[in-house]
Amino acid sequence: MDSQIVTLITGASSGVGRRIAVQLSQTRRLVLHGRDEPRLLETRALCERPDEHLLWNTDLADGAQLDASLVQLIESQQLAVEGFVHCAGMLSIQPLRLVELGAARRLMDVNFMSALEILRLLTRKKVNAKHLRGVVFISSTASRFGARGFGVYSASKGALDAFMRAMAVELAPDVRVNSVLPGAVTTRMTEAMLSDPQLSARMAAEYPLGIGRPEDVACAVEYLLSDRARWITGQELVVDGGRTVNITA
Amino acid sequence: MNDPDFITPLSLRSRRVLVTGAASGIGRAACELLSRLEARIVAVDIDEAALNGAVQGLAGEGHAQCCFDVGDVERIPGWMADVAQKGGPLFGVVHAAGLSCVQPLRLLSPAAYRKVLLLNTEAALALARGFHKKAVGDAAGGSIVFISSVMASAGAPGAAAYAMSKAALHGLTRSLAMELAPGKIRVNCVAPGFVRTPMFDRMSAPWDAAQLARVEEDHPLGLGAPADVANSIAFLLADTGRWITGSVLTVDGGYTAH
Repeated sequence: MDSQIVTLITGASSGVGRRIAVQLSQTRRLVLHGRDEPRLLETRALCERPDEHLLWNTDLADGAQLDASLVQLIESQQLAVEGFVHCAGMLSIQPLRLVELGAARRLMDVNFMSALEILRLLTRKKVNAKHLRGVVFISSTASRFGARGFGVYSASKGALDAFMRAMAVELAPDVRVNSVLPGAVTTRMTEAMLSDPQLSARMAAEYPLGIGRPEDVACAVEYLLSDRARWITGQELVVDGGRTVNITA
Repeated sequence: MNDPDFITPLSLRSRRVLVTGAASGIGRAACELLSRLEARIVAVDIDEAALNGAVQGLAGEGHAQCCFDVGDVERIPGWMADVAQKGGPLFGVVHAAGLSCVQPLRLLSPAAYRKVLLLNTEAALALARGFHKKAVGDAAGGSIVFISSVMASAGAPGAAAYAMSKAALHGLTRSLAMELAPGKIRVNCVAPGFVRTPMFDRMSAPWDAAQLARVEEDHPLGLGAPADVANSIAFLLADTGRWITGSVLTVDGGYTAH
């Protein structure tokens, strides 16, 4: 049996990750990762040729289990993972005095350490030969700018971007590694937030091009993974409707 | 396709895009790619003979060409109004024309650095002014892409004039992005590393093999091709970049990552 060439997307069960999956499914066979199996199945049903895509249902906070289950999946299905999109992420907004160390570690594990662990496995010859070509991390504009209560989240995204640059240099020229830094897009995670008319009006004023859509982020991911971006590595691409250049907000 | 919301990747069908520096290097590669994406090109360059050759190679129809010196910044807005009146409003502007300059500080004359600023920076500003005028830019909105350089964020001996002209473009990109957003005009910048173009060949002519090898090694993915930059210009111009404004996309084979 020939190996199947696939692209792995973590956090594919909702929001931006789901949209990335749907968009990439037009041209790629995917491994869809998520914690919530019913919603992961929903994502797969939305994809082109749903039957072609594999599911990887695991908790990224559990490093040891992640390791074993990814290796098992790749071996049993004879996968050649050529693309990796790390979109899984937790957001918890808490002022410093309420931050609890265990919860902060868990957030760092999911948002950052899991990306490191997956990339480590995917660049091991024994596991994935030299199949890996392109990596895109979904970071956040919070990696570059501060906001109240965002300490741990910002740190996790900052770690991801710093790691991205180091890996771009270390893994060149075989693997390209980049980040996309989105601003706020309408997803189920932000829907509740945006249903507050006051907050929604404030956000609209902050974003010169308005609030974004998940497909805006998906377009950037698709571009960076594609051969059109063959000379782009180690970069942060901000996709935020102008939010971070708006100092009047 | 099961969803009408999907953005058809990169299509620029019937959209009119003005490209400066169209006769060679990055500008020429941009014209070629954008024409294959079905844009109608207004190709601008000061070198008429080379421009003729470049325009002949374009795909599709409806292209125009102008032999114009973008250093003539006072005339740019009026000239753009003319271009729009003759061939219809513009959807996009790409400023790929530029001047390189490698001069140690002690030899750098005001006349020399002013010329670099004029072509690389002031022309960009004048193009944005022209594009923002009624009946020049498409009423439905538009997209501007400037071409800066990794020298906008890195330093090198002898690069002072070039670096300041390109770093200024980043400031221009951010402020114009804010100012033009209400008019649905997006403004972004592509910052390339060292790309094999006629400009690069002229600049590197005096280098020895070791110097050339060092510059190549500074790019973990090697030196780039004009088409690599053209791809990112197209990505930012087209609807694939519809929520991107004020951004600088660095396309440099990893030059600035290490």
